[in-house]
Amino acid sequence: MRHVGGAHRGLDMWLMQRASALYMAGFLVVFLVLLLAAGPMDYETWRGLFAPMYMKVGGLLFVAALLVHAWIGLREIFIDYVHGLVLRLGLYLAFAILYLGCLVWSVDILWSVQ
Amino acid sequence: MNRQMNRKRPFFLNLLVIRLPIGGVVSILHRVSGAALSLLIPVLLYLLWRSLRSPADYAAVAGFFSGGFGWLIGLGLLWALLHHFLAGLRHLGFDFGLGEGRDRARQTAWLSLALAIALTGLIGLSTLSGGGA
Repeated sequence: MRHVGGAHRGLDMWLMQRASALYMAGFLVVFLVLLLAAGPMDYETWRGLFAPMYMKVGGLLFVAALLVHAWIGLREIFIDYVHGLVLRLGLYLAFAILYLGCLVWSVDILWSVQ
Repeated sequence: MNRQMNRKRPFFLNLLVIRLPIGGVVSILHRVSGAALSLLIPVLLYLLWRSLRSPADYAAVAGFFSGGFGWLIGLGLLWALLHHFLAGLRHLGFDFGLGEGRDRARQTAWLSLALAIALTGLIGLSTLSGGGA
């Protein structure tokens, strides 16, 4: 029977976790600056923040990084606390499906702002 | 070190009994805040969707967070994000070999713990008096 996973998967995930963290940290700082620069917040101002194409693309990359980061983080927790292999793999799959759904949904949300 | 010795090592992970050092406290809170934020991603996307959909939806989301129970939930989310962010920066520093000494590691542990709480408190106070930002 084939092994599930391999010797390099852990290192790949370790790197992905840090790469996604760095992108999110940078995006959050830029977003906070834009938010503060926008002045008093209301619906039109809030929507205006998401109007430029760079915010849609950057925002979608943020959501993608967030979902990858969250999935890898939850995987670490499941490895520590969920010891049944079937249940653990089921949880990986369930969150992968949930998060892929979230990714598709976020495209719709971001591109709904014209 | 042979295998037999490894197998006899104590397995003692009850968090209610262990007296964690400050680095351990920051680390477990990093995990707890990360788990909470991960599980809440669909809710956060729902809030983003509502807030962008129409002025009435925006007002509903802003109204939920502006007072009472929703205000507390908002501060809880904010603390989770700030703690995870700051403790994460600290862990990234370790990856680059920064602040690995015991004293410096303890200092940055206290700093990230205190800063997340202080910033949450400050923003909480400012939204309490100013009626939301």
